[in-house]
Amino acid sequence: MQQLLNGIFIGSIYALFAIGFTLVFGILDRLNLAHPAVFAASAFVGIELVERGGLSLWAALPVVFVFGAVLGLVIERVAFRPLKNRADAHFAGLISSIALAGMLIAVLQWRYGPDTRRFPPGSFPDTRFEVFGAQVTLVQVVILAVSLALMVGLTYMVTRTRLGRGMRAVAENPTAARVLGVNVDRVTAVTFAISSALGAVAGVLFAINVNTAQLGMGAAIELKGLAVIIVGGMGSLPGALIGGLLLGLAEVFAVQHIGSSWVNVIAFGLLFVILLLRPQGLLGARKVREV
Amino acid sequence: MLGQYATTLTFIALGAIFAYSFYAVLIAGQLSLGQAGFAALAAFSGAYLAPAPADVGDVPSLLIAVAIGMSVGALGAVVLGLPTMHLRGVFLAIATLGFAEAVRVVLLNQEWTGGAQGLGVPRVLTVGMAWTALALVAYWFWRMGRSRYGRALEAIREDELAARSMGIDVGRHRLSAFITAGAVAGLYGVLYAYYVRLIAPNDFDFVAAVEGLVTAVVGGSTMFLGPLLGSGFQTIVPEIQRAVGVEAGWIRPFLASLLLLVVILFLPGGLASLIPRRTRMPSGPADDDATGLAGRRHPEAGQPVVTLSGLGKEYGGVHAVRGVDLEIRAGEVVGLIGPNGAGKTTLVNMISGLVPPSSGSATVLGTTVGSTPVHRIAAAGVSRTFQHSKLFNRLSALENVLVGAHLVSRPTFLRRLFWLPSARRDEQAALRQAARCLERVGLSELAANRAESLSYGDQRRLEIARALASDPSLLILDEPAAGMNHVEAARLSELIRSLARDGLTILFIEHNVGMVLQTCTRVVVLNFGEVIASGVPDEVAADPAVIEAYLGSAEEDADGTGARAGATAAGAGDAPPDAVANLRPGASGTLDTPDATRDAT
Repeated sequence: MQQLLNGIFIGSIYALFAIGFTLVFGILDRLNLAHPAVFAASAFVGIELVERGGLSLWAALPVVFVFGAVLGLVIERVAFRPLKNRADAHFAGLISSIALAGMLIAVLQWRYGPDTRRFPPGSFPDTRFEVFGAQVTLVQVVILAVSLALMVGLTYMVTRTRLGRGMRAVAENPTAARVLGVNVDRVTAVTFAISSALGAVAGVLFAINVNTAQLGMGAAIELKGLAVIIVGGMGSLPGALIGGLLLGLAEVFAVQHIGSSWVNVIAFGLLFVILLLRPQGLLGARKVREV
Repeated sequence: MLGQYATTLTFIALGAIFAYSFYAVLIAGQLSLGQAGFAALAAFSGAYLAPAPADVGDVPSLLIAVAIGMSVGALGAVVLGLPTMHLRGVFLAIATLGFAEAVRVVLLNQEWTGGAQGLGVPRVLTVGMAWTALALVAYWFWRMGRSRYGRALEAIREDELAARSMGIDVGRHRLSAFITAGAVAGLYGVLYAYYVRLIAPNDFDFVAAVEGLVTAVVGGSTMFLGPLLGSGFQTIVPEIQRAVGVEAGWIRPFLASLLLLVVILFLPGGLASLIPRRTRMPSGPADDDATGLAGRRHPEAGQPVVTLSGLGKEYGGVHAVRGVDLEIRAGEVVGLIGPNGAGKTTLVNMISGLVPPSSGSATVLGTTVGSTPVHRIAAAGVSRTFQHSKLFNRLSALENVLVGAHLVSRPTFLRRLFWLPSARRDEQAALRQAARCLERVGLSELAANRAESLSYGDQRRLEIARALASDPSLLILDEPAAGMNHVEAARLSELIRSLARDGLTILFIEHNVGMVLQTCTRVVVLNFGEVIASGVPDEVAADPAVIEAYLGSAEEDADGTGARAGATAAGAGDAPPDAVANLRPGASGTLDTPDATRDAT
C-alpha cells in the first residue's frame, strides 16, 4: 500500500511534467527539449523563494507558475518562432531548444553553483496521515492535489474555452486556423507558456518531494517524460496522465522487487513494446497519411 | 607542434565519426538516437573479445576490435531496425533512444563490463589512425552522395511517397541507411575505447547521443563534409575559450550553447551550407544514345495494360469507387473526368498501388494490384504525377528527374567507391536521360534550380519530366493542367499527344474538359464512384448522363440552362486546339451550373 501511494505521488509529478511536454507536441508538432531545463530552473527558483524570499512553500508555487510561463514565452520567441517556416523546422527546433536549455543550465550554474540545494530546514509541515495503514505526509497530499488540479484545469481549458478551441484548431491545421481568424502566433506563444508553467510547477513539486534540486535533474526526468508521452500517446493529455502514473508505479515496484539499477530498463522496455504494438500510444490517435 | 594539439585533433576525428553515424540516417530523413547504444555494444564487445595489443601488436589488435565492433554495431542496427523501421520522425528517435538506454543499463549490470567502474582498455589509437579512419568514413559518404543510392536516400528524405512511386524500395533503403549508421557508430565506439583507456557504459548515455546528433545537424546533414565541420566547431569552441582565458564554470557552456543557437537559427543548412554546392550537368550532347540504361520492354500496341474488374474502394461505409470495370490498351490516351469527389484520384491511386482496393481486382502490366508494394508496380512500368505536386523540394530540377530515372539507371555507389570508369559512364547516361526529359517538357534552362523555387506551372511540368524519366509503359497524370492558363494547357495537350505518338499509354485526370476532349482517344466519366460513360470524346460529350452529372438534369433546372450548357460542353470538342473551354463544374461539389457557362449562354 505504501508503495502504491508512493508510486502515485511520484507518478503525478511525472504526469504533470509530461503533460507540458505533450501539450506542445500535440498542438504544435514540436518537441521542446528546453522543457527539462525549465523543470530544473524552477526547482532552484522555488528553493530561493522560500529561503531568501521568506515565502511559504505554498505561496512559492504560483510565483513559480508565472516564472515558468515567462520562460515558455522566451523559449517560443527565441528557439521556435524564427524557425517556423523552415523545411527542417523539426530537427532545427530540437537543436535550438537544446541550445537554449544549455544556456539556461549555465545561468543556473552561475547563480546557484554546481552543488545540490535543499529547502531550509523547517519548511515542511509535519502533519502526517494514515491511509489504509500507510504513512502519508501533508506535503505528498498537496503534491497530488496540485498536480490533479492543474491537469483538470488544463483539460477544461483545452476542451471548453475559446483559447482551447483555438489550440485544437491550430493542432488540426494551422493554415486553416489562420484563415478562420485564429491568431496562430498568439495561440502558439500561449501554448508554450502554459506548457512551461506546468513543467515549472512539476519541477518545484519534485524538489519538494525529494528535498533536493540539482543541475542534472532535468536531464534525468527528460527520458522519463519522453517515455511517458509515447506510452500515453503523443499529444494526448489523459494519455500523459495515465502514462505518468503507470511509470511512477512501475518504478516503485521495480525498485522494490528487481533492484534500483534496472528501473530504466522497465520504463524503456514498456516503451519499446508499446511502440511496436501500438505506435500511436495508449490513447493517441493515428494520423492518416495523405496521398 | 602536432603533439600539442594531438588530443584535440583526435577528439575532433572521434566526434566527427560519431556524427557521421547520425548523418548516415539523417540524409534519409530518419532521426535516430540509437547510435549511442550501437557504439556502447561495439566498444565493450570489441575491447573484450579482441586479442590484447601486447600479444599481437597494436595495429592488428585495433583492426580486429574494429572489425568486431562494426559487425556488432551493424548487427544491432538490423535487430533494432527490423521492428522499428515503420516508425517515423520523433517516434523513431524515442524508440531508438529507448534501445540505447536499455543497452546502457544492461551493460551497467554485467560483470564482464566492469559495471559503473568501467573496463580498462590499452591506449592504441594515435591521432594519425583516428584521422585515417575519419578519412575513410568521409570518403564513403562523399562517393555515396552522387550515386544512385545516395540520390534515392535524399529522395526518401524529401518525400517518401513520391520516392516509392519512382520505384525506390523505401523499406530496404531505410534499413540499409540504418545499418550503415550502426557500423559507423560501432567504429566510433571501438576507436573511442582504444583512446580513452577506461570505458564505462555511462560514456554512451543520452547526453552523448544528443551531442552526436547536435554535431551532425550543426555541421549540416545534407552535405558530406557536415559532420567534420560540426565536430571541429563543437571541439574547438571550448578550446578557443580556454586559450583566450575564459574561466571555467558557467561561461564556457553558456557561450557554447549560444553559438549553437546562432548557428542553427542563422545557417539553415548547418555550417556546410557555407560551402557552395555545384550542380552537375551532363557533359556532351543530350542525344538519343541510351547505352548505360536498363532496357524496358513495353507492351505492343493493343495489348491490355490495365484491367480492372469490379474494382471498389470503401472508406467507412462511403463508396469512393464502386464496381469499376475498365480496360486500357497500349497506345491509348484515356481521359478520366467527373465532378469533384467522383473518385477519380482514388481510382488512379488504386491503379498505381498507393491505395489497396477493398473489392474487385486490378491487373496492371501483369502485376496484381492490392498486396503488391508501390515500388514493384512502378518497376512494372507505371509512373505517375500527383494532384498536389510532390517534388523533392530541396533537390535541383535535374536531380528530381535523376531520381525519376532510378528504375532505368544502374546502381553506381560501389563502383564509384573504386572510381571504375563504368560507373562514370552509367552516371552520364542517367544524366543524359534526365536532361532529355527536362528538354521534352521545356525546362532545360531551369535544370540547376531547386524544385521549390520553380513557379507552379513549372513544378507541374517538372513532375511530368520526372515521371517520364523511368521510361514508363503507363503514364498517369493527376490534373496536370490544374492552375495552368489556356496557352500552357494547350502546350501540355500537345506534349501529351506527342508522348502518345511515341507509343506511351496515358491515363489522365483533368477538369479542363475541353483539353480532355481534344487530347484523348477515349474518355471515361466517373460519377459517385461509378463509370457512367466511356467512349470516344464526341460520343461522351453528347451523352445525356454525362451532361446530367456535370450540370444537373434539365428537369430539375426550371430555366433549362442545364441542357444549353451541355451543348456548350459538346461544342468544345469541335473547337480549335487553342480555344480551350474550361468547364470546372461543381467547385463546391454541387451540380449547379458554373457561372462561366451561364454567362456564355
